[in-house]
Amino acid sequence: MSNHRSNSSRRDFRRYAAGLLAGALFIAGCEGAALGGGAGDAPDDGPIDIGLLVPQSGTYASLGEDMQNAFEMYLDLNDGELGGREVNLVTADEGETADSGQAAAEQLVRDDEVLAVSGIVNSAVMNAVQDLIEDDGVPLVGSNASPTTLVDVEYIWRTSYVNDEPGLALGEYVADEIDGPVYLLAADYQAGYDEVEGFRETFEPAGGEVEDEVYTPFPDTTNFQPYLSQIANSDAEAVYVFYAGGAAIDFVQQYSDFGLADELPLYAPGFLTEGDVLDAQADSAEGMYTSMNYVADLDNEQNELFASEFQDAFDYAPTTYAAASYDAAHVLDLAIADVMDAGDDLTRDTLNAAIGELGEIDSPRGPWSFNDNGTPIQMWYLREVTATDDGFENATLQDLIQLGDH
Amino acid sequence: MQWIAANFVTIIDGFAYGLLLFTLAVGLSLVFGMMDVLNLAHGTLYLIGAYAAHALSDGSWWSLGLAALVGTAAAGLGGALLSGLTLPLGNRGHLDQALLTLGISFIGAELLFEVFGSRIVNVPRPSGMTGSIAILGNPYPVYRLLFIAIAGALAVAVYVTLERSTLGALVRATVADRDMVRTMGVDTRKVLLGVFVAGAALAGIGGALGGPLLQPGPGVDERVLVLSLVVIVIGGLGSVRGALLGAILIGQVQSLGVALLPGMASFLLFGAMLLVLVLRPQGLIPAGAGRSDR
Repeated sequence: MSNHRSNSSRRDFRRYAAGLLAGALFIAGCEGAALGGGAGDAPDDGPIDIGLLVPQSGTYASLGEDMQNAFEMYLDLNDGELGGREVNLVTADEGETADSGQAAAEQLVRDDEVLAVSGIVNSAVMNAVQDLIEDDGVPLVGSNASPTTLVDVEYIWRTSYVNDEPGLALGEYVADEIDGPVYLLAADYQAGYDEVEGFRETFEPAGGEVEDEVYTPFPDTTNFQPYLSQIANSDAEAVYVFYAGGAAIDFVQQYSDFGLADELPLYAPGFLTEGDVLDAQADSAEGMYTSMNYVADLDNEQNELFASEFQDAFDYAPTTYAAASYDAAHVLDLAIADVMDAGDDLTRDTLNAAIGELGEIDSPRGPWSFNDNGTPIQMWYLREVTATDDGFENATLQDLIQLGDH
Repeated sequence: MQWIAANFVTIIDGFAYGLLLFTLAVGLSLVFGMMDVLNLAHGTLYLIGAYAAHALSDGSWWSLGLAALVGTAAAGLGGALLSGLTLPLGNRGHLDQALLTLGISFIGAELLFEVFGSRIVNVPRPSGMTGSIAILGNPYPVYRLLFIAIAGALAVAVYVTLERSTLGALVRATVADRDMVRTMGVDTRKVLLGVFVAGAALAGIGGALGGPLLQPGPGVDERVLVLSLVVIVIGGLGSVRGALLGAILIGQVQSLGVALLPGMASFLLFGAMLLVLVLRPQGLIPAGAGRSDR
């Protein structure tokens, strides 16, 4: 530890020395110019530093790629500016653990002194950086991770959804639709508990009946056959599951292989068939129902631009991860513009205050706004996996429910 | 009777997974048990085979055959390389070998990550093998039945070769008394190389054909390595029959066991290993006695 400290202080010294030298040259070059104030304060013109913290390695790397693509696309579509200010995007690798994410966040907030941060996929990282963000008072416009336990925060905003909302969105609909008990199956970690709990919260008051609730070891389960056989032998009339990533591929293929897809309708939070996993699942996912706050085929003006530009630029349909990241850039764009229009200094605090006063935001997912907890009040959609000319897509069936306003 | 009808498919599936584990574990077991080389890069060999199937197989039979050939050959080549690299460490104990092969497995995993990306990828099944047939009223994927047949045949072939043929006798003799075999004019290094390559090739073909059951992706190499080590601990080192019994047992624990006790799923695997370690620490069917003093 002491070794680490002496290393970093040596590094600090070197950077300090370099900074002094640069400062001296700067002053010599243009005499009388005002120097910037404290950390994260941007000079009145010139580029502003925005940090993007997404996984560039490990299990979540493909999500990180989606989010970075969408954020950069928003910048490209706006001449590299947010709120009329040129943006210097500083990316950092979140990695796949709380430690790697926290280290990268500290780098962005303290060393790079960015004006605001976006990104963050892993809920554990979100929990780990909470104190750093709140203590240093840097606006974090998160675009994915949003644990149910994250409340009473001042500087942390999320353009995604709270973790239990995809389940909350489905409960009442499934209770109305299915005449009989429903089998609940989920991966054995926090997200699995959140999605099942959320589902039960709206499912049971609406008259739904639970056949059984089973959690599968994560990430060790690759063979779901024993669980599927238990479901087949039960009295369940439908199945509700939570899986994402590689487990979602295995589960969906086996649900179809072992003949359950023809027997029991399957409902799930949208991660089950979101993004690249759908390419691997292909026809085995056909007919599965999922809930999500964004669908690539939504019919509105914002999405027309977003979905077609994204498809052209990256050659795949945008995901909810991409849409949330695009919206994070949009939120920063609007808030920075508001600060500039009011004639205030652009600082971390003025920016954070402006985010809180944004009101309704036009977005590819439809209009939404932040609630008191810093998460969106937004519509949720029911989707079904359907075949297209060149593969499979999540197609919007209907609106489910507006969440976030309770 | 009703119990059997309800769980029959699960038992069959246990055999499919067990035989997949056998193709992995037998190579690891022979190399470790017979040649005293601990190869922690064994899981990478499975990944090589499975990725070969992902890259080459397009759903036709000939492409699956090609993928199996390429995957087996590539993994065999990897085995030869590992054999050469571990040779100088022969007298330096297991820790050095473990460090070397673990390092190689990290490098291999990173290379495969660079080429195939971070996503778990799909290995298509050949045409006509994508559907299911009903067994006692429960649908079961046809491809898994085919896999059971092929992997079962492989297991028999490995057993006959090692236990019943002259070549197998030579291998076993080399293990029992290397110097004596050398005195008889046999280059024992070739025998050792052969065992290493054959074991690696088996993991490769397991990956190429088992890809649709256990799809390749980052981290899968570690998962199959751990499973193989558990199989060897249960079955006993250096014995084909032990590896087969251990693999089938773990296959059943992971399918029938999980079906009967879903709440205990995460404990069953290592619970079974613990039980064997307590009751029969040498494994259920260890290699012949008298080798440990070599």
